[in-house]
Amino acid sequence: MTANSLRQMGQAAPTRSRRGRGRRAEARVALLFLLPAILLVLVFRIFPLFWGFAISLTSATSTDPGQFIGAGNYLRALDDPNFRSAMANAVVVLLSVPIFVTIPMLLAILIHQGVPGRTFFRSVYFFPAILSSVIIGSIFSVVLSFNGNLNALLNLAGIGGVDWLGHSATALPVTLAIQCWSTFGMGVLIFLAGLSTLSKDMVEAARLDGAKMWQIWWHVIIPELRPIIEFSTVITTIGLLTSMFGLIYVLTGGGPGTSTTVPEYLIWAAQGRLNRPAYAAAISMVLFFMTSILAWLQIRILSRNANI
Amino acid sequence: MVSGAGKRQRLALRIAAVPMGLLALSCLYPIFFAVNNAFKTRDDYMRDRFGLATQPTLDNFVQAWTRAHLNEYFLNSVIATLGAVILLMVVSSMAGFALASLRFPYRRFLFAVILSSLMIPVQVVLVPFMRTMLALNLVNTHIGLILSYTAFFLPFSVYMMTAFYSGLPRELIEAARIDGAKLLQVWWHVMLPLGMPALVTLAILNTLSCWNDILISLLVMQKHRTLMVGISALKGQYSDQIPLFTAGIVIAAAPIVVLYILFQRRIVSGIAVGAVKG
Repeated sequence: MTANSLRQMGQAAPTRSRRGRGRRAEARVALLFLLPAILLVLVFRIFPLFWGFAISLTSATSTDPGQFIGAGNYLRALDDPNFRSAMANAVVVLLSVPIFVTIPMLLAILIHQGVPGRTFFRSVYFFPAILSSVIIGSIFSVVLSFNGNLNALLNLAGIGGVDWLGHSATALPVTLAIQCWSTFGMGVLIFLAGLSTLSKDMVEAARLDGAKMWQIWWHVIIPELRPIIEFSTVITTIGLLTSMFGLIYVLTGGGPGTSTTVPEYLIWAAQGRLNRPAYAAAISMVLFFMTSILAWLQIRILSRNANI
Repeated sequence: MVSGAGKRQRLALRIAAVPMGLLALSCLYPIFFAVNNAFKTRDDYMRDRFGLATQPTLDNFVQAWTRAHLNEYFLNSVIATLGAVILLMVVSSMAGFALASLRFPYRRFLFAVILSSLMIPVQVVLVPFMRTMLALNLVNTHIGLILSYTAFFLPFSVYMMTAFYSGLPRELIEAARIDGAKLLQVWWHVMLPLGMPALVTLAILNTLSCWNDILISLLVMQKHRTLMVGISALKGQYSDQIPLFTAGIVIAAAPIVVLYILFQRRIVSGIAVGAVKG
């Protein structure tokens, strides 16, 4: 087959008209090859985005198409305590982003600098990142339950147990800590990829100039990592806004109360349990607006770094 | 040559290795916790929850597999994952071939359309997505879940295949650009085999995504649960039977853990490439 097509290529392009016909045939075949991908993306994602916006402007329920009510659902959201606490929780989540970025960065620099046991750390740190949030959530729900292992350990140390996930003050921070623990290996990987392009000479030169370790980190390594830090910040933020559903679903179900309800979880609850699909569609648009700003930032960062 | 600063740095790194080692142990602990408790009897667990299983039993696995219906859920997950992974390979290889090697109008625009859908996660289109699934009669069908997974995990795969095929030597691409009627054969006999290194990496990464998914399968498969939906339901039902529950967790995580052990390097490099370029 390969030899055959090579021979045919040698014969190709004898006359203009035949080439023109070939071009048109090629374009037709190319579109056929693209068709499945385009169709899937259009039917399940792009068309629903516009449809969702249209639904968000109506009073639709699961059985009734409803009427056009303009911004009604969006205005209702402003008064809805569920939505307000979902947004407040989203702010808490966003405030934790620096932790999600800094910890992997420090670990990656340490691994890059040759900490003893680095090969082991590298492969083990990534392990939680491949497990489903359902698996991680299930294990932690057992370990952190009121009569679970952590409290049993604390009791042995003479400290009273805490209902980590059943208490509205601790539920969200604990959920975020688990999310951080389960994804930091991915961050380490990204920073290690960035560090692999770091010029060894610069670090060595700084060292020969008598720079202390923290000075080298602060003045040489971290400035060099700036594009990776920006990139990691944006994708961590998008990830936190759109991939915590599984963990929350298994660990807390959005509770206690609404203390771990974030926008993506509220969308799901409004669509199903609360049977308010039009309202869910409106919150979806709010979430889309938030992630779009981030994606715009991401594209800007990527294109600026590409220009360097 | 060994300066004071160098010595001090090595000491600092050695000290840093201690918390880093503890963190590494914490990464392994949950799976140890699940495996260890899965082999305990219920009384065993009550008596000593921290210790090793003294009289290992397979009973929990048998119970989870049969009585808790994990066998059905496992089969559903296998069908959905296998189907979606194969479809993703075929569709992304075809699209990547067209985008990288063929000339046609609106090529860049169509590439941008596919990539832009990365910005539309399922939460953003939850309601219209469900209505589309209902309208197409795809709810509670395996084919519905397979198509959904393919649609939501496709852009990254198309991006990877386009990038991979663009990197192939120009002569191969020219060889592929022959008489229109034969392009399907060119794809099947040349591009598909040549793309295998990238396709295998994609297959592994997509297996992780499909197997681990909860939200899409929760929406699409309300009657025939996938493993992850089944496990989250198990959590409520068997909250007083931790060994049985952890056996379920072990069954659900086992394929992924095996995959990670077998293909660790491919997974890590594939994700690094995707994260930095995607």
